[in-house]
Amino acid sequence: MRNLLHTIPLLLILAGTLLLFEQPAYAYTDPGTGLLAIQAAGSALVAVGWYLRRKIYALFHRGANRKPQQGVYGGTEEGNVWEGNDRKGQDREGQGPRLP
Amino acid sequence: MSSQAEFPERPCASPDDASEGAEPQWTFRDPAGQLRLTRAHALRRIHPGAVEETLAFLASPLRAVLERSGDLISSEIVQPEVTPATLPGELWLHHPRIDPISYPWEWTTAQWRSAAELTLRIASQAIDAGWMLKDATPLNILFAGARPILVDVLSLERRNPNSTTWLAYGQFVRTFLLPLVAEKLLNWPLRTTLFFRDGYEPRTIYEALPRWQRLRPSLLDVVTLATMFESKAGKADKARRFPTTSDPELATHILHKRIFRLGKQIRRAARSQTSSQWTGYQQSASHYQAADTEAKQQFVRGVLARLRPAHVLDIGANTGLYSLMAAENGAQVVALDSDPAAIAALWQTAERQGKFITALVANIARPTPAVGWRNREQLSLLDRLSGQFDLVLMLAVIHHLILREQVPLGHIGDLCSRLTRRWLLVEWVPPSDPMFQEWLRGRDEIYGHLTEADLTQAFAPFFDVSDRTVLGNGRILLLFDRKPVAGMQREAVTS
Repeated sequence: MRNLLHTIPLLLILAGTLLLFEQPAYAYTDPGTGLLAIQAAGSALVAVGWYLRRKIYALFHRGANRKPQQGVYGGTEEGNVWEGNDRKGQDREGQGPRLP
Repeated sequence: MSSQAEFPERPCASPDDASEGAEPQWTFRDPAGQLRLTRAHALRRIHPGAVEETLAFLASPLRAVLERSGDLISSEIVQPEVTPATLPGELWLHHPRIDPISYPWEWTTAQWRSAAELTLRIASQAIDAGWMLKDATPLNILFAGARPILVDVLSLERRNPNSTTWLAYGQFVRTFLLPLVAEKLLNWPLRTTLFFRDGYEPRTIYEALPRWQRLRPSLLDVVTLATMFESKAGKADKARRFPTTSDPELATHILHKRIFRLGKQIRRAARSQTSSQWTGYQQSASHYQAADTEAKQQFVRGVLARLRPAHVLDIGANTGLYSLMAAENGAQVVALDSDPAAIAALWQTAERQGKFITALVANIARPTPAVGWRNREQLSLLDRLSGQFDLVLMLAVIHHLILREQVPLGHIGDLCSRLTRRWLLVEWVPPSDPMFQEWLRGRDEIYGHLTEADLTQAFAPFFDVSDRTVLGNGRILLLFDRKPVAGMQREAVTS
C-alpha cells in the first residue's frame, strides 16, 4: 500500500511531463512539404553547378570579348535533350550548361 | 454483306448513363473549369477567372505544336449553352471524345511509363515556350488506341520566368513515379492505384521499403529525403515560399534538370516486360495443330472481311493475334485480358505497328468498378463498354468463365448481348478438350455434360446462330447475330 502511494505521484508527474511535449498530429501536417523541400535543395545544387561552370569558363576565356551563351542551353536546345531513351540526352545529364 | 450503316447507333457512355438522375454530371474538382461528356464531344466549361489564361494558351504556338504532334487533345471554341447555371463571361470548348475512357489502374507498366514520358515531354516543351504544367497526373492522360494523349488543356499555365519550382512535381512523383516504384520493389500491382487517386506519399513507400532499398540513388531524393524533410516541416507551421532566381536562364536550366531527372527515375522504376504462362500461349498451345490454327484464323478473317465492323471488343485477347487481325481490317479495337504481361506484349505490338488497339488489363468476370465521389467520377468498365461494339470476340473464353468463375451460360449470353450491338463470335471449348479437362478438377457432374447445344440454348433469348465451323481439335466457332428483342428477354433469363 505504501509502495502504491509512492508510485501514484510518480505516474502523475510522468503523465504531466508527456503532456508538456505534445506530439504533432501527423494527419494534419502537409505531406507535400517534403517534396517541395527536395525541389528547393535540388535547385540550389544545380545553381551552384551553373555558377561554377560560368566561373571556370570565364577563367579560361579571360580577355575574350564575348560571354558564354547560356541562352542556347536554357532555350530550345535543352528541350531537345529530353527524348525519352535517347542516349544523346542521357550523355548530357549532369554536365550543366552547354558552352560554346 | 453488312456495312457500317447496318449497325445500330452507339449509345453514349457517360456518367449520365450510370446515374440515377437526369441532371448532367459535370466534373467539379478543378476550380478553373468543368467537363462533361456528350454523345459526340467532351464539353468543357471554363470559369470567367480562367478564361484569359485559356485563350492565351489556345492562341499560343505551343498549343499548335502539341496538337499537331497528337500529344494534346484538340479544342474548338463553341457558343456557351444558356442555362441558369451559366455565368457571364464563361468560355466553352468542345474536344473530340476518346473512347473507351481508360483509367491508370487498367494500364500496364509500359503504358504507365509512356503516359509519364508524355507528361514530361509536354512539361519540357512548355518550359521552353514560357508555359508550365500545373497538374501532372495519369488521370489527365487517355489512350487513343495505343497512343497516350493529354486531355486537360487547363493543365497549362504561364510560368513565372524566375521561378525554379515546378508546382506539379510532387503530384508527378506521387501519382506517376511512386506507383511504378511500388510495383517494381514491393510487388504492389498498379491496379491497386484504384484506391489511391492521389498516388502514394513518399512516407508510405519509405516505411514499406527494406532499409537498404531506401538508399538507392534513384529513390534517395523522392522517397528517403522527402520523408525526412516532411517530418521536420510538420513541426513548424511555416507559410510556403517558392524559390526564385533573378536569372531566368538559370530558372529554365533548373526546371529542365528536374524534368530530366524525373525521366531517368521513371525509366529506372518501370519494371521491364515480363512473361507469364499466357504470353507464350499461342506458340506453345499443344492442343492446336497447325491445320486447326489455320482453319480458325481463316474463319475469323472471313467474318471480319464480311462484316467489316468499325468497333471490335476482344475479350481474353491474350497477346492480340485476333485484335491485330481486326485492326488490320480497319476496326478500332478494345482488347481486354486479365494477364498484364499478355496485355503489355499486345500494347507494344500495337504501338510499334501503329494499330488502333486500346489494350486494357481487365477481367470481364470481375470488371473494374466505378469509383470516386458517389461512384460517379470514374465509370465502371461495363458502363464504358456496353453497347459500343459491332462485334465482340470471345475466343476460348467461355470455359474460363464457367470453370474458374462459376458463371452460368445464360448470364454470359446476357452480358454479351449488352456489349455487342450486333455480332458475337464465340469459340466453344467442349468438355473433352484438354484445357477444359485441366480446370474441371473432379467437377464432371456439374460441368462435364455441357455441349454446344447447351450454349446455343442459353444464348437463344439473345442471339441467333448465323455461322458455324468445327475445327479438327473439336472446338467450335459460332457467329451469333443479336436479336432485336434481346433486352426484353433479358430479365426472364437471368432472374
